[in-house]
Amino acid sequence: MDIHLPLVQKGRSVRTQQSAANTQARKGMSPRAWRQARAFYLFISPWLLGFIFLSIVPLLVGLLISFSNYDGLNLMEVKSVGLRNYARALGDTETQYALQRTALWTLLNVPLWLAISFGLAMLMNQKVKGRGFFRTIFYLPSAVPVVAIVWIWKIFLDKNYGMVNGLLGLIRPGTALPWLTDYALQSLTAISLWTGLGSGMVIFLAGLQGIPTELEEAARIDGANGLQVWRHVTLPLMTPVLFFQLVLAIITSMQAYVVPMLISPGSGQNLSNLPPRGVYLYMIHTFQQIFVFRRFGYGIAMLWLLFILIIVLTFLVFRTQRYWVYYETETEEKKA
Amino acid sequence: MTGKPSSRTTQQALTYLILGIATTFILMPEVWLLVTSLKKNTEYLSPQFTFLPAVPQWENYVQVFTMIPFLNYVRNSLVLGVTFTTLCVMSSSLAGYAFARIQAPGKNFFFSIVIALLMIPAIVTVIPQFVIFSQVGLTGTYWPWVLWGIGGSSFHIFLFRQFFANFPRELEEAAELDGCGPFRIFLEIFLPNAQPVLATSAILNFMWVWSDWFNPIIFLSDANTTLAVKLNYAYVTPQGQQLTPIVLAACVLYVMVPVVMFFLGQKHILQGIVTSGLKG
Repeated sequence: MDIHLPLVQKGRSVRTQQSAANTQARKGMSPRAWRQARAFYLFISPWLLGFIFLSIVPLLVGLLISFSNYDGLNLMEVKSVGLRNYARALGDTETQYALQRTALWTLLNVPLWLAISFGLAMLMNQKVKGRGFFRTIFYLPSAVPVVAIVWIWKIFLDKNYGMVNGLLGLIRPGTALPWLTDYALQSLTAISLWTGLGSGMVIFLAGLQGIPTELEEAARIDGANGLQVWRHVTLPLMTPVLFFQLVLAIITSMQAYVVPMLISPGSGQNLSNLPPRGVYLYMIHTFQQIFVFRRFGYGIAMLWLLFILIIVLTFLVFRTQRYWVYYETETEEKKA
Repeated sequence: MTGKPSSRTTQQALTYLILGIATTFILMPEVWLLVTSLKKNTEYLSPQFTFLPAVPQWENYVQVFTMIPFLNYVRNSLVLGVTFTTLCVMSSSLAGYAFARIQAPGKNFFFSIVIALLMIPAIVTVIPQFVIFSQVGLTGTYWPWVLWGIGGSSFHIFLFRQFFANFPRELEEAAELDGCGPFRIFLEIFLPNAQPVLATSAILNFMWVWSDWFNPIIFLSDANTTLAVKLNYAYVTPQGQQLTPIVLAACVLYVMVPVVMFFLGQKHILQGIVTSGLKG
């Protein structure tokens, strides 16, 4: 017979037993199992149609375009150019420059974000008065739309009229640091931290609160001091959360586009304004090819290259897991 | 953390100091937005640094509405947001329910696709989508949002699936004995009990469309674009000079919508973020 499984609640062994029984029962499908299957596919059909026509078809069309000279208008005389788009992208110095900036930006943004939001979560995990207040404040920027975020920071860091230079000017009159142009990468990092600290903190805080207090207490009874408890109990138990957040942060950072694009002076109306060289990131270079020069084939080839790079990088990060990510069973061994 | 009372006091002081610095870092830019939105343009452009406006220019907030047909763009954003949200919540809750409660061959395969789509970046599909939509004449219309809505979202399917998986089995067993079909069980038993997750999903979807700048700028035209796009370049003098304080006043009004929504749904939203963040 067919079985409804609340997958999350039931224990794993129970679940596998039951689904084994399931497969047996399904061999000659009972009318009820058939009705269930029909209902299932009916229920997921909107999503399934979307998956086919909004993911699979565009993926294949994109792949085809990336091997062609399509420029948005020459549909009738499109011809295959083989791997030329890919080769050209890899050999292009501008692409290499953009990739280098993207790597630098990711290396700056991801560790800072992980460290600071984890640190804030640890502070908040103590007995803090007004925890709800702080949490709301930190999370607030996550609710602010990106366009407003950029406007907020544009006027905050403006060279001539910004608040930061205004305050610096009180100490040293005449200060006019070009934050948004010469220090664009640092500014972008500040904006990204401002936006993302809250959500990072909320997730890490939930992870910390999930650590059973008995473990930390037991370590303390064994004579460990605060730092040792943190190093040998808290941190190892948090590594799965840290790992997952690291992967997500790398994937997101590599695709950064909207904020650096909107920072550039006179932006917002169209996509042809270029941001400062410091934040000339890979996605900006790519969308420039597509929307300004209408090199669709070339641009989509560049997107596929980034996609492959992200997958390879994610795979490599996954491979590092066994060196630093502790899963429950491993931790038990460690302590024994 | 450590035993001695004096070091505990120091540590507490340090905690509040750091939290205070972080709070300042978060709040300062927001405060500067609010005060600058009340300045005269000449005041904003004066070389002399002043924190507060000499006289608060509430006028700026009136000009937000009078300089451009502001409410038209609000309406565009609302229409897109409500359309997409309604469709996406319907489609995602149906799929999420099916993945949680209905048994069928091939289910695990399709669920692994949902999870894979959660991780795979949209960058490789959005440009081909643009090419296809422009070939069939859907760019410049709101149809892409309708189609995206019908297609649902992996994240929201996952959210609904996690929620529906926690209901006791007896619920649908009893209904089945009464002769209820799967759709009626979903509609009359599960949906009425799913208000928290419905609210979370609706708020997150709406906030996504309301905040989105990228899709409107590539898929829509200047005539029917959203507030997020128009805001950036609409408030200029006849000479083409940007009237920053008025843009900022418009920003304040624009931000109010998602911020208020966030506060209304804060508890559930944070729960949703945490669920997806911790369990992936």
